[in-house]
Amino acid sequence: MIDDTACPTARGMCLFLADYGAALLGSGATCIRLEKNIDRIAATYGMHAEMTIMPRHLHLTVRRDDSDEIFTATTTVRTSCISFNVNTELSRLSWEIADRRIGWADVDGRYRTIVKDIPQNPWAVLALVTAANASFCRLFDGDGIAMLVVAVATMAGYYLKQQLLGRHVDVRVTFMICAFVSSVLGATDMLFGMGSTPAVAIGTSVLYLVPGIPFLNSFSDLLYRHYICSFGRFIDAMVLTACLSIGLCGGMLMMHAGMF
Amino acid sequence: MLIHFLQDALFAAIAAIGFAAISRPPRRAYIYCALIAAVGHSVRFLLMDGQAMSMHIIPATLLASLIVGTMAVFLSPSAATPAETCLFPALLPMIPGIYAYRCFGGLVLCLLHNSQEAFDRYFYLFAYNGLTCIVILACMVIGATIPIFVFKKISFQATR
Repeated sequence: MIDDTACPTARGMCLFLADYGAALLGSGATCIRLEKNIDRIAATYGMHAEMTIMPRHLHLTVRRDDSDEIFTATTTVRTSCISFNVNTELSRLSWEIADRRIGWADVDGRYRTIVKDIPQNPWAVLALVTAANASFCRLFDGDGIAMLVVAVATMAGYYLKQQLLGRHVDVRVTFMICAFVSSVLGATDMLFGMGSTPAVAIGTSVLYLVPGIPFLNSFSDLLYRHYICSFGRFIDAMVLTACLSIGLCGGMLMMHAGMF
Repeated sequence: MLIHFLQDALFAAIAAIGFAAISRPPRRAYIYCALIAAVGHSVRFLLMDGQAMSMHIIPATLLASLIVGTMAVFLSPSAATPAETCLFPALLPMIPGIYAYRCFGGLVLCLLHNSQEAFDRYFYLFAYNGLTCIVILACMVIGATIPIFVFKKISFQATR
């Protein structure tokens, strides 16, 4: 424990927590984690935080327990990529503050370092996603040829996704284009009659696009009665699934492949 | 049977690592994600296998998720990450993606067909796949969240 004499005002705490919460939500944290972390930090300095969590905004009020000092802030949730690394480090920061292992003067600097996040090697991610989707194909009883076709389809589709998102193309358009390309490539197993499980190849070629984390987060928020946030996340995930289905249907129509 | 079981565990572990990479976990978490996914998916495989239990996908997913959630809660302090960091990527190989896009495929096809017979068939496929997808997702999250509820102290102090 350090000897920390600096004590934030309700205004300073509220502005920091609003930023912290926006970053934590943007990194893919559940609402219950956000509540726990923010309450923990506020309680450390004798304050109480009340919040309204909306799908795209966070409304936060901080009140000092021993006085009438009160401050409210509204902030927009960061629309960054999901990052469990940021989620982990921000959660750790809340404990460092609570256990007084970091002084208030150093909190902002530490927070800024965390939210910068270390960029991933895109080639390594591409290779891992390719291997993952090929393995997924095997889990659905695809044969070796189907796995190979899915690997090629995933590699092309995911590379395209990285390039399009890097050029700030709308994520929904990106999903449609990537699903279309992957399904066309996935249909080559059926087109050339190479393997014995062509339907599995085309079906699993787009599964790397399924927004699994938003689906899981939405159901987790539902269990903790954060209905609005849960509904918002669920609709986001459904829109992305609809976009990937449109791309997939387009690819299957072009290749004259049946879905059912 | 044993080979199929081990194969399922291996490919689920690879899938978990790859899909985890999209959501940028800390490097130390990959091994935990792989281990938890391997156990969870192979347990579901065993429960659904005709020779063993022949269970339906929905209860099998619920039970497997319960195991995945328990493992994530107890392993997250060693990984020094929140339980979700190990839990969610480990659940990803069980996400009912095929049901999700078949649901939308059914919707598109029932809109594209005019005859009542074809519409009924595709509407059935839309509803069946959609409902199955939602119930599986709910079971996954309920199963995986129960251990977080029960062992709250461990779950929310893992990064301490």
